Amino acid sequence: MNGKIEVCEIDALVDAQNGRISPTIYTDPQLYELELERVFGRCWLFLCHESQIPKSGDFFNTYMGEDPIIVTRQKDGSIKALLNQCRHRSMRVSYADCGNTRAFTCPYHGWSYGIDGSLKDIPLEGIAFPHGACKEQWGLQEVPRVASYKGLVFGCWADDTPELLDYMGDIAWYLDAMIDRREGGSEVIGGIHKWEINCNWKFAAEQFASDQYHAPYSHASAVQVLGGKPNDDASKALGTAQTARPVWETAESCVQYGQRGHGSGFFLTEKPDANFWVDGQVADYFRETYEETKERLGDTRALRLAGHNTMFPTLSWLNGMTTMRIWHPRGPDKTEVWAFCITDKAAPQHIKEAMELNACRAFGPAGFAEADDGENWIEIQKVLRGYKARKSKLIMEMGLGNEKYREDGIPGITNHVFSETAARGMYRHWANLLMHEKWEDVQRADEAYEQELLKKAAKKDEKELVK
Amino acid sequence: MNQIIDSLKPQPVWRSIGLELHHDISQFLYAEAQLLDDWKFRDWLDILSKDILYTLKTTTNAQTRDRRKCIAPPSTWIYHDDKFVLERRVAKLETGMSWSEEPPSRTRHLITNIRVEATAQANEYQVFSNYLLYRSQKEKDVLTYVGKRVDLIRKDDSSSLGWKIAKRDITLDQATLISHNITVFF
Repeated sequence: MNGKIEVCEIDALVDAQNGRISPTIYTDPQLYELELERVFGRCWLFLCHESQIPKSGDFFNTYMGEDPIIVTRQKDGSIKALLNQCRHRSMRVSYADCGNTRAFTCPYHGWSYGIDGSLKDIPLEGIAFPHGACKEQWGLQEVPRVASYKGLVFGCWADDTPELLDYMGDIAWYLDAMIDRREGGSEVIGGIHKWEINCNWKFAAEQFASDQYHAPYSHASAVQVLGGKPNDDASKALGTAQTARPVWETAESCVQYGQRGHGSGFFLTEKPDANFWVDGQVADYFRETYEETKERLGDTRALRLAGHNTMFPTLSWLNGMTTMRIWHPRGPDKTEVWAFCITDKAAPQHIKEAMELNACRAFGPAGFAEADDGENWIEIQKVLRGYKARKSKLIMEMGLGNEKYREDGIPGITNHVFSETAARGMYRHWANLLMHEKWEDVQRADEAYEQELLKKAAKKDEKELVK
Repeated sequence: MNQIIDSLKPQPVWRSIGLELHHDISQFLYAEAQLLDDWKFRDWLDILSKDILYTLKTTTNAQTRDRRKCIAPPSTWIYHDDKFVLERRVAKLETGMSWSEEPPSRTRHLITNIRVEATAQANEYQVFSNYLLYRSQKEKDVLTYVGKRVDLIRKDDSSSLGWKIAKRDITLDQATLISHNITVFF
């Protein structure tokens, strides 16, 4: 703890049991430093999609937290993730967004590394290192654990973090509805939107985990100008096959899932209709592929063409919208968004292009919906400059005590979509990570929270039965 | 995965263009900028042709050896709008609930380096310009966008300003946007 932050202080910041959060979790530089170590230093973090580096020597530059990382395809087809830092004086050795190369050469003194990270060449080696250079030990630092889940590549620095599948838990079931809809899996379409938002990364991660609640109000203008009238094709802005109204106005039931930091929310619709801001051509594609997806994933997920998700800590996506993004932390009050279009590899080219336009129009930096999200988060961050504002505990009580396991096959701890079960779970997991040095202790603390949560819910049910 | 693109930086072509024509088109672009800065978005829509394509793609960092081969990291759309979508963007601003522009940003378009090239069509010109777009938002948020525009400008007597914009291809000179959103027109 560096003697700076006490464990009990962190514990008190997240009173998930009573639905109260201290806003300093979004502002404190010491907590941020601890996040880099204990969240980004040991969680499984999304690196890239396999389709972005198909050939030997292909590389893709990204970040794990604030650490620059080169993801490279090896000669044997495997994937390595390397810290983009010359071992000599800490320069980055690779600067293009992506590309194909045989070597990564540091621009400072010319140390040159192979695509596997091994140090190949030191200029003037014999003169500069008269006693010999220990080149075999001076390669780029390698991320020790790299694993793929259905085309998505993840990296992890810590050895006691559970295996990727274990770490994902039930969020994998929700993710499949995005990336495993059709034979061949998924593919990234086009380039990456990168932009900076002056807000803490957790606002974005939490919203995608837990917050369907904001959509009807924050996105009211988008609904007004892109939505249509039911049974009136002429009123639809995005083609006659567009779903006329937002799913939150029409669906009969819904679900929010939240556990181990992950979260997801969606509506159970009668038909495979994508949400209203998906254009008609793409909406029709989803209708046409419904049977195939149903065969693979079952009815619930084949019908699921809307809603939000976060795999803790920073990977988020929106079903049907074909947008996925990572929220790179950039200090307590800054986030860099990297958003891209991802969809079925088996989709025809013209549909892929339409999906890319779709994702850009609604959820790019100029997106009809996205623009208003970023605006909310920066305004919150500004208010939290205030001393009193930072002392004012935020209300996170929605649906408190109504958590339950469902019996219809939708996995994990769930609630109504307009609840904050996933947010409370995310912050509790976050606090547990910060408080505990060993992953087994994090896991124990998470389990204790979940048991207490479900006990409380069961008690409430009993009371209601008695009434 | 890098993509092959036709040409990253097309060579400018020098052809003499009349002073009066250059002056007319420059005045048109300044008037257009004034409409945007005065929030007269409906009037601005009126000077866009029905078939306008309004585009802005992301820019990327590519290695020189790849650029020589016209290979670059893939990019994607920030704007890819026809007139209908542009009109919907204006309609969104008009709802009073477009929170990213509520209250609206103050903008100032500085348009420079205007260069006019004739096209195969007698009444159409390809017009290159650079912009500095200053955006001041809410109390004191300031965002600055710098880049270029390649327009197709068409002589059109039905336009109150004598011309219409038939195509605008915008470049914004930032790979990672230092902007929490893009809600202004370039």
